[in-house]
Amino acid sequence: MIRYLRMFRMFALSELQFELEYRLNFIFVLLEMVLVVGTSVGAVLIMFAHTTNLNGWTLPQMLVLIGVFYLIQGGNALLFEPSFQRLMEHVRLGTLDYHLLKPVNTQFIVSVRHMRVVRIPDVLLGFIVMGVGLAQLGARVGPLDALLFALALLCGLALVYSLLLVLVTLSFWFVRVENLLTIFWAFTDAGRFPVDLYPGWLRFTLSTVVPIGIAVTAPSQAIASKIGPVEVALLAAGTVVAFTVASAFWRLGLRNYTGASA
Amino acid sequence: MIRIYRQLFTAQFQAAAQYRIQFLLWMLFSVIRPTIFMAAWVAVAAAQGGSVGGYSVADFAGYYIVMTLVGHLTAAWNSFEFEFEIRQGRLSPKLLRPLHPLHYAIVENQVFKFSTLPPLAIVLAILALTFQVHFATEWWHVVLFVPAIVLAWALSFMLGWVVATAAFWLQRVQTVNTLLQRTSFIFAGQIAPIALMPAALQAICYALPFYYILGVPTEILRGGVSFERAVALIVGQAIWLGVCWAAFLVAWRRGLRQFSAVGA
Repeated sequence: MIRYLRMFRMFALSELQFELEYRLNFIFVLLEMVLVVGTSVGAVLIMFAHTTNLNGWTLPQMLVLIGVFYLIQGGNALLFEPSFQRLMEHVRLGTLDYHLLKPVNTQFIVSVRHMRVVRIPDVLLGFIVMGVGLAQLGARVGPLDALLFALALLCGLALVYSLLLVLVTLSFWFVRVENLLTIFWAFTDAGRFPVDLYPGWLRFTLSTVVPIGIAVTAPSQAIASKIGPVEVALLAAGTVVAFTVASAFWRLGLRNYTGASA
Repeated sequence: MIRIYRQLFTAQFQAAAQYRIQFLLWMLFSVIRPTIFMAAWVAVAAAQGGSVGGYSVADFAGYYIVMTLVGHLTAAWNSFEFEFEIRQGRLSPKLLRPLHPLHYAIVENQVFKFSTLPPLAIVLAILALTFQVHFATEWWHVVLFVPAIVLAWALSFMLGWVVATAAFWLQRVQTVNTLLQRTSFIFAGQIAPIALMPAALQAICYALPFYYILGVPTEILRGGVSFERAVALIVGQAIWLGVCWAAFLVAWRRGLRQFSAVGA
């Protein structure tokens, strides 16, 4: 475990070094992100000028939800997305061989080897918006809620990760998996509002096939005491199942991989 | 000119036929965003007892379904591609051709819309049925919609090209694009029909070009404005189109003069 953490640190440092060559780029990306998050919050503020609750969600709760959305989206863009993108390239070019030869868990290395350090501001801005929402919720957040929140957030990230892993594993059989990923990104946008807002078919899609909806909504529900330990436990169980299935599918795909020259 | 265009269209349709799946996927993007905001406003209206600021649940649904159509018809993406064309040196051969690059872009833009309109219409019809939309459209709304949508598309297209020409001078047009997209997100009527915005924001909406691209054709087709108002808004569209056209001509001429292809 410690060994894996140390490796993770090394990956991060090397990516950081690489990224520091483009310092000005950092500032531009930060600027863009402030704009994106700012306008998202603005949109919700305009809505709340006309109402005090959105299908049972108050403004501070909505702010938490937006924060969580950018947290999950940013975390995903920071960590899994760049690594998986390379993975698909490796499979296509046959260079995955080099990773397979390394004496570590292959799933670990293909999932976190690459990072897009410029996306750190996304995560930070997510934390800030979430923090503002939490501060407004104030005293109503108990320690149990906070614990459930953290757990649900972890589950949310793991769910999104599991789905992405399944999608990229498909690249062992099909060459053009990018299309599937595009569908995933299109639906991601819908995560910025609570899933209970949407019509049945969309809510269903966002809670199962593309779990971004549940990944964002569940933590926010936990902090707002809309769901209790039972629901979070169910979510955790579901996440474990999803993760196990995804990992099994990944190993199945790996067995199908024949390498560059084979 | 008509013959040239016919040839261009044929060629572009053939090229586009290779990317059928991609086209459908891009369409998905143009449907999901408005659906999200429709769902949110429907929830707001429901929480307020069925209507907000004169918009009922059915009105919101109608507004956003029409807006999806308008957003699709007015989409322009040259500001995203032009930077790459310059950087990869693909602009130079285009400049050698006797036809202005603008014409190729127009045809490419239209072909995408023609080929995705049928599936989009099906999706919108399904959405309209699920949400039980309401339109207050009169016959003259439909008539006025024709110039409104043409002007809106031309404005969106030219605005995109003005931004695209920035690539002659800037290295990060992407940031400009994000800036524009997010401004449009707020002020075009995407997050809310602008009648629901605070007065100060409404004034900005009328001053900027974005509302004339998305909001104006939407309000006209769904029957949300009076005849006089619709005509006034169309005049506004024409004025902004003139401004963008002039800006493009100046920027293009200046930009080309100091443009030297990468590697040249």
